[in-house]
Amino acid sequence: MTSNWITTRAWFLMLPLLIVMIAVIGWPLIDTVRLSFTDAKLVGTQGSFVGLDNYVKILSGTNFQRALVTTFWFAVLSVALEMVIGVLAALLLNQQFYGRSVLRALMILPWALPTVVNATLWRLIYNPEYGALNAALLQMGLIDAYRSWLGEPNTALASLILADCWKNFPLVALIALAALQAVPRDITAASMVDGAGAWSRFRFVIMPYLAGPLMVALVLRTIEAFKVFDIIWVMTRGGPANSTRTLSILVYQEAFSFQRAGSGASLALIVTLLVTVLAVAYAALIRKSAGAS
Amino acid sequence: MSALELVNIRKRYGTVETLKGIELSLASGEFLVLLGSSGCGKSTLLNIIAGLAEASEGDVRIGDRSVTGVHPKNRDIAMVFQSYALYPNMSVARNIGFGLEMRNVPAAERTEAVEKTARILQIENLLGRKPSELSGGQRQRVAIGRALVRDPQIFLFDEPLSNLDAKLRMEMRTELKRLHQMLGTTIVYVTHDQIEAMTLATRIAVMRDGQIEQLATPDEIYNRPATRYVASFVGSPPMNMLDATVGNGVAHIDGSLSGILLPHDVQERAGKARNVIIGIRPESLSLVSGDGKGLTIDAKVEVVELTGPELVVTSTIGSQRLTASLPPRSTVTVGTPQRFSIDASALHVFDQATEKRM
Repeated sequence: MTSNWITTRAWFLMLPLLIVMIAVIGWPLIDTVRLSFTDAKLVGTQGSFVGLDNYVKILSGTNFQRALVTTFWFAVLSVALEMVIGVLAALLLNQQFYGRSVLRALMILPWALPTVVNATLWRLIYNPEYGALNAALLQMGLIDAYRSWLGEPNTALASLILADCWKNFPLVALIALAALQAVPRDITAASMVDGAGAWSRFRFVIMPYLAGPLMVALVLRTIEAFKVFDIIWVMTRGGPANSTRTLSILVYQEAFSFQRAGSGASLALIVTLLVTVLAVAYAALIRKSAGAS
Repeated sequence: MSALELVNIRKRYGTVETLKGIELSLASGEFLVLLGSSGCGKSTLLNIIAGLAEASEGDVRIGDRSVTGVHPKNRDIAMVFQSYALYPNMSVARNIGFGLEMRNVPAAERTEAVEKTARILQIENLLGRKPSELSGGQRQRVAIGRALVRDPQIFLFDEPLSNLDAKLRMEMRTELKRLHQMLGTTIVYVTHDQIEAMTLATRIAVMRDGQIEQLATPDEIYNRPATRYVASFVGSPPMNMLDATVGNGVAHIDGSLSGILLPHDVQERAGKARNVIIGIRPESLSLVSGDGKGLTIDAKVEVVELTGPELVVTSTIGSQRLTASLPPRSTVTVGTPQRFSIDASALHVFDQATEKRM
């Protein structure tokens, strides 16, 4: 059998999948590119060619710039918090203690919940009239009156970040825990005999084992946080006063709320481009860590 | 002053007792080998000395100071692990110097100590490399260097050579012996390899089921084993153990017509014991020449194996097996009866009931 025939057969076997992929990803993508150069509306007019008008308008407009900044802060803060809490939780769960396996299983729970359920749950917790957070803080004497956490522009984003963090830190913790278990016992024992205290041991001996897996978690979580939509849509819809309007929310509003398919498409393509940059960075990291080991 | 003293060390996991009251005292400069099969508790004992595990009962004293409850780093010990346990992200130099770094030794002093250690171990040219760029033998040297550089009171070795191939293992064994002779350090060394134990130790503690079966010099362990277990554990091929019945000072080997006249001192110690085990090292047997006077034993030759330096002959006496190590050019025919003569001075007799030496 010639290698030529093997190649042909491989393509033939992959053909059904390729057709499906072209139909559901390729074609919409190409059509989005076409749309982005028009002033098409979601219903009615097909729109006419407007060149780069949409892109110029978006990139120079304050809506896009503000959404970009909001997205940036959401991604940076929530991912940073998740990494810190995740690693701390993993270190704790890596200790020997009674009930450890139960706690390990429990920890997965927030991550296993559908995002919409999680968002609804946190909306209840943040509720300005009967929310648990208000009750807890008031009873501890930290606030003197119930507040609308999601209703005020200066607390809404922080409240969202907290909710997102609660949902996603288990993923980081899980990855970190797996990495911790790969640290040979002899290495930890050797560092104890060598005289390393808890902090030195973590920094010089354990951290090198964590770095690679955590880097993967970091990039994955950053890409996801950058694309964030559902948790925000359920909790604040981008409000109040657009203070939680991230790029994905903006794309949705532009294309569907305002029914401007043309500029919605160009906005979506810009976001796609930004995420692609992150994805390429991810692929490069994976290649690098695969090469290292 | 003893360098290390173990007082009634016990270790329990739930209801299982893995160490049953270990008593041991080690003088400075001794090379003690803890020898035993896996699960005998030797590694647990080493970890208790290191402080990586806590004894359920008893006391560990290093240099006349009780270290029970003291953190490993404050015990003035260094340890070499079976897996070498080198820090993969650090260079060889930093691996060796890490213990000093953690003890806040100034950088200049540290570098000097690391270089001196590297010279002793002949790894100066490797100092800039990472552990992943080293061979097994080189990693072993670095692991030893990491212990050496700290100049501790006691060195602990946990089966350090078992991950090396046979040739390298022999080389490193000699190297360890050289280091011990040169530096005069006190060493506790865990292994299941009797050759390592015999060649390295100044004293061997043969362990079994969480107890020390015999604590003695290699010579005594080999030539005067205290129990049947010690006798069969040390030596290759292992000692022949023949069940026998004593009557009138003669041990009649089960399944054999011939009897072995026991030496007088053994006769006395045997007293009224009837059932004994006669232990004969394979190299204490030789082919009968001439008139065949002295102690002899008849057996039927079953298998003949030439290992190179010796001819290992396995024969049977009734249902019992007799192995002899003979000079390689000996003429032995498989399937025929053969008379062996026994070196009477190398005869071991154990009580069948207690398995203790008589």
